[in-house]
Amino acid sequence: MRLEHAELRALLPHRYPMLLLDRVEAVEPGVSLEAVKTVTGCEPCYRGIAEGEPADRYAYPASLLIESFGQGAAVLWLLSRRPGTAGLPMFTAARECVLLRPAYPGDVIRHRVRLDQVVDGAAFASGSSWIGDDKVAEFGSMMAVVRPVDAIARAS
Amino acid sequence: MSEHDQHMAELREIVAEVLEVEPEEVADTADFVEEYEADSLRAIEILARIEKKYKVEIPQAELNEMRSLKAVHEVVARYAGWQD
Repeated sequence: MRLEHAELRALLPHRYPMLLLDRVEAVEPGVSLEAVKTVTGCEPCYRGIAEGEPADRYAYPASLLIESFGQGAAVLWLLSRRPGTAGLPMFTAARECVLLRPAYPGDVIRHRVRLDQVVDGAAFASGSSWIGDDKVAEFGSMMAVVRPVDAIARAS
Repeated sequence: MSEHDQHMAELREIVAEVLEVEPEEVADTADFVEEYEADSLRAIEILARIEKKYKVEIPQAELNEMRSLKAVHEVVARYAGWQD
């Protein structure tokens, strides 16, 4: 199963500038997912960088890479739940994450996500991110919990 | 090492990792919330890791009981059928 961008928007509450996935290439609900995030030079994280700054200033921020992977995990979890289940996943903890090399504008990042465990209102995912054949990050354990939609709306 | 000590050592390691302290800092009866400022999310993480490691299912209602290492051991022993 493949999900185009419009379908992602229907699943995830995130919007610009924090919707950090472009497409889901393949998903086996309850098991695994492969999602794509394309980094471009016009993203807000590159705004305001002064002229002549060194090339590594354009490394894609680790926090956004982790969030992007987490959104892939959220899609996988959402598609694995019973239809009509209420509440949104909220990312709560990342453990044993290793960033191996930075991504730059022009890179297409592929997240390979596995859903490891779901316990009453909490889910754990793991996996890795790739640019071509290069592994850019490993994610040992990402945890999310379900929160009621109205509680999230109130907090924001 | 007795079975009881072995289980306590394993549980201590799980709790320490989630609470981000050294295993030797986790005293048997220290209250997770009062001593280590644990919140409900940490508690769920401890529960999930235990379920995964020992392949047991522990109802979330037991979370209220699992406030110290000793209490965690008692709850897990009940559901995993440990005799120690």
